Amino acid sequence: MSYFADSLSTAVALITSFDKDIYHIVITSLSISIVAAIIAATGAIPAGTLMGLHEFRGKHLLQHLLNTLMALPTVVIGLLLYGLFSRLGPLGYLQLLYTPTAVIIAEAILIFPIMMNLTVVAVTSSDTRLVPTLISLGAKPGQLLFHVIKHCRFAILAAVITGFGRAIGEVGAAMMLGGNIEGYTRTMTTAIALETSKGEFEVGLALGLLLLFIAFGINFLLSWLQRAQP
Amino acid sequence: MTAYELHNIKVFRQQNCILDIPSLILPKSDCIALFGDNGAGKSTLLDLLAFIKTPSEGKVFLSGMPVTLPLLPAQRCKIGYVSQHPFLLSGSVSDNIRLALKLQNTETKRHPRLIAEALEQVGLTHLANQAASTLSGGELKRAAIARAISYHPEILLLDEPFSHLDQSHIQSLETIIAQLADQTETTVIFSTHNRLQGRALANDVINLVDGKTTKSPLINVYDGTLKQAIFDTGKLHIHTNSMQDEVRHVAIDPHEIIVSHQAIRSSMRNQFQGRIISIAEEANEVRVTVDCQERFHAIITHSSLHELKLELGQSIWISFKSQAVSVF
Repeated sequence: MSYFADSLSTAVALITSFDKDIYHIVITSLSISIVAAIIAATGAIPAGTLMGLHEFRGKHLLQHLLNTLMALPTVVIGLLLYGLFSRLGPLGYLQLLYTPTAVIIAEAILIFPIMMNLTVVAVTSSDTRLVPTLISLGAKPGQLLFHVIKHCRFAILAAVITGFGRAIGEVGAAMMLGGNIEGYTRTMTTAIALETSKGEFEVGLALGLLLLFIAFGINFLLSWLQRAQP
Repeated sequence: MTAYELHNIKVFRQQNCILDIPSLILPKSDCIALFGDNGAGKSTLLDLLAFIKTPSEGKVFLSGMPVTLPLLPAQRCKIGYVSQHPFLLSGSVSDNIRLALKLQNTETKRHPRLIAEALEQVGLTHLANQAASTLSGGELKRAAIARAISYHPEILLLDEPFSHLDQSHIQSLETIIAQLADQTETTVIFSTHNRLQGRALANDVINLVDGKTTKSPLINVYDGTLKQAIFDTGKLHIHTNSMQDEVRHVAIDPHEIIVSHQAIRSSMRNQFQGRIISIAEEANEVRVTVDCQERFHAIITHSSLHELKLELGQSIWISFKSQAVSVF
């Protein structure tokens, strides 16, 4: 018990002393996850909205596929992209392996189905009168998409934040594709894994606490936005 | 000039035909009431006229032109549509009208004047900046009408505008619709299940029964089967002049039913004896309901009522020609 308490106090001291290495890891983690979330959201929100608005052949199959991809183990994505980006792989010439870009691509792929699926749910569960009203008022296809996204913005934002939360907490793909290079691709989760394996429990715990704090901040932001919904 | 022409329209829902209109022409600058019971197909027909839904079969012509979806902006701006349960987006009443004007590509500098005009027309100027989510049912309907008329459509479609409203709101809405219908060049088409309201406001009434249109008033409507021009309701045989087979309903115009104390020797093929079960005033006329196994409603004048000295419970004869029977 004292081991845990000692580790916790050391972790808190590392956080409150603003340890440069720890905060560099946090910033790397946040920037990778934010960029991945923006990239995924750019595609997933319009795609999810269009899927929610239209009936088409194969929609159910796509829905099943999205559900499956939502539960896809991160190491599987890591493995596939590793094969693509490794020196002998088809995209090896891009020299992306062990770069933040590779981690961003992996995390964007990982969270795209989550964001898209939750956007579909947001659109299909919106008021059934929304689309006929917009059409009757003269909305063209692009305007219809824009106003449906605007109307469902709080639920869609929840989808984005959920995706971001998954990205920042992801370890498998970040480890395989980022390589956990200090000061370059080391994220909070890969650092926790490394430090714990080294027996540096305090550093791992400090990062774990920061990760929890970020998760709490995200959830707080989400519930605040939902309360602010008119 | 016609506002709409419908040809061979059929709408199916889960393999059931919920709307079947071989031909329907709706003239321009008219006030038309769509009358029918719940589930008769009024909302489906209005959705087709608003081009929100497409028919499973057939074609709809707008102002003489065939229409393909999505509608061209020049066609869309001709139609204002207010659904039975109107939906206002988040924001104020003005924001909602402004959105309609934006989507209709109306010049931004004209927005304030058009918004003010529309709100004034429906008597909601004082609620211009109120959040749409805080409006009462009547205010919401009027706000939706303001939004629909803000861009001055040639055709205004109103689905059950009077439903779920109290009497004072109904009266103010009737006045608004009457004013809009009086405006030249504006065609108002509204649905209602209140026959009197339909007749009072509209100069033409289209009746819908089980997805089929009929010009006959929807009282004295009977279900049954037609064989060799005789319609069997299960209780009575009514003579018609139709030789069609696929007939499920007949309707008799209550003005065409003659009430007498004795059977009349005439060319009228339908004569039934019954008992008066109701006498009621209706729109300056008198509705006499006679139970002849099936209930028949006859509309007579006040003077006829006095001359015939009709009383409740009295035994009486009703007669009508086979020509007065509409089949559909």
